[in-house]
Amino acid sequence: MKKVAFKTLGCRLNQYETDAIASQFQDNGFKLVPFDKEADVYVINSCTVTHQSDHKSRNFINQANRKNPDSVLVVTGCMANNAKTELENRDEINYVVENDQKSSVYSLVEAHYNGEIFHPTKLNTDLFSYGSTDKGFHTRSMVKIQDGCDNFCTFCIIPSVRGRAVSRPIQDILDNVKRVVATGAKEVVLTGVNIGRYEYENYKFDDVVEQILELDGDFRLRISSIEPDGFGDKFLGLLNHPKMTPHLHLCLQSGSDSILLQMRRMYNIKRFKEIANKIRSVRPNFNITTDIIIGFPGESDQDFEDTCNIIQELKFGHVHAFKYSIRKGTRAERMNQHIDERIKSNRSEILRNISENVKADYRKGFIGKYQTVLVEKIIGSEAQGYGESYVPVKFSGVNLKKNQFYRVKISSIDFNGEPTLIGVSD
Amino acid sequence: MRSHKVIEIRNLTPSTYIIRMEKNDFTFKTGQYITLGFSGSIDRREYSIYSSEQDDYLEVLIKEVEDGLVSKKLKRCKSGDYLDIDGPFGHFSLKENEISKKKFLFIATGTGISPIHSFIATHPDMDYQLLHGVRKEEEAYERESYQNNNYILCTSREKSGDFHGRVTDYLKQNPVPSDTVCYLCGNCHMIYEAYDILEKQGINLGPIHTEVYF
Repeated sequence: MKKVAFKTLGCRLNQYETDAIASQFQDNGFKLVPFDKEADVYVINSCTVTHQSDHKSRNFINQANRKNPDSVLVVTGCMANNAKTELENRDEINYVVENDQKSSVYSLVEAHYNGEIFHPTKLNTDLFSYGSTDKGFHTRSMVKIQDGCDNFCTFCIIPSVRGRAVSRPIQDILDNVKRVVATGAKEVVLTGVNIGRYEYENYKFDDVVEQILELDGDFRLRISSIEPDGFGDKFLGLLNHPKMTPHLHLCLQSGSDSILLQMRRMYNIKRFKEIANKIRSVRPNFNITTDIIIGFPGESDQDFEDTCNIIQELKFGHVHAFKYSIRKGTRAERMNQHIDERIKSNRSEILRNISENVKADYRKGFIGKYQTVLVEKIIGSEAQGYGESYVPVKFSGVNLKKNQFYRVKISSIDFNGEPTLIGVSD
Repeated sequence: MRSHKVIEIRNLTPSTYIIRMEKNDFTFKTGQYITLGFSGSIDRREYSIYSSEQDDYLEVLIKEVEDGLVSKKLKRCKSGDYLDIDGPFGHFSLKENEISKKKFLFIATGTGISPIHSFIATHPDMDYQLLHGVRKEEEAYERESYQNNNYILCTSREKSGDFHGRVTDYLKQNPVPSDTVCYLCGNCHMIYEAYDILEKQGINLGPIHTEVYF
């Protein structure tokens, strides 16, 4: 049996796409092995959102090649678009597959083993033609509803590597959700590059969410990363639906209005706070997580302080902060006042401490309350998974099963590593 | 990416010009922008579309940037040259259901007037007032395109405009009725400051209609 190993970098959309490709390999007789083990095929689903992502992708290419120099090495994802020539010139890489052809990775490898030469123009370029993800890496079932982005934020390379915004037909999405729920998925996660900008015929993002929530079945719905400009009050109303999980990853990027304007973000701090406060007025423990860019060109001490303040004020459940890095071809590349790396590092350290304290405080709020945990892993008599608020939970019990919901009363927090809620099931 | 043939270059000031290109089958929503560069070149820049949706040509208003790479080259292009266009992009757009019903205030600085020109050329009957902030009167790019009473030139470096000072000074002295729909396009500082002033005057800006020019 041939072995295949995957490494995924970056966003949830990449994770979804890897899950779908991995399922296809397994359906066709491949054995999935960890990336650090010897495999016949290595697939690296790369990311290029920061300089660091490129660096990591290159490291994994080297690692795969060291593990088995005779393997079929496939590099796909955003770096494959952004650094195609560089990657194609590396002898150890067999195939560089751009994002729009990613769903064809299995066909390409199959053709390789059959001795066929597969011309890139023959590859499928349908962005929504991924199969099921039932044999992938995640208990949660991701459903892709959209790809690409037209926002062109000044720091972001993604519109160049993922292309223009495209939305999947609503009926395909609903069929996909019904299918995964029928095969046992308990949690559906909507993914895409900029899902709030979903638009297909007359359907907008909130219509998609509303129709999914109306479907029958024992499942809950999670929205992945969303931009604050992509929805209105109808969507906020849907957050109270019993099937909707109380968690949004709402990308803030900066706490300074002046920096947001220069990033070409389409909201200001006042609007962001309005959204957060509106959500929490109904569900005070609603988990709002976010992304922050540290050291965008021109970010002053005051701008940075504003960012630190808003993190504390809005009590984010988690902050994914990263240092700004120049992405070639973006508008920010040509801006003046780029920030010194040492300043960025200092600010990162300050922000990390603040975020961790805020996260710990947020999670302490769960003590004495209940979370409905979807079990992802069982070690002995201990189960691990995520509650509806997308907070990790560990609990003990008997006859515990993976991919089942358990109502767990939270009693404490384990601060060893990622703060994890500890509880007992009802 | 599509190639469009240049029809003409129209110089408005020593550093500002309009490129008119064949439209071919290109469509856009007024207020959107394109990226533009010479055919085959990787160097591209973003420019809001200056012409109207219904014009049978495509125009962009460009200010030559000192030490700029693309704006300097584009200024030298000639009729018959081909430029590559990508787009249209952007969400700086009018709401269809407001166009004939609402009163609009457009605030622009410099070449930030480009998408506003497109708005007004596309919907000439709309009820609007336009504040255009520039340094000198010569930067009142094609002011004859606007109905005289609706266009207010704010000049900051000389007294030749309709108002001497910045657009934000004008706004402070001339409060805006609270039911006005405002669109702001231009440099970051103007938008930042004007937004605050408008909000204090009771304008509910709702979703922000802003487009930053750098």
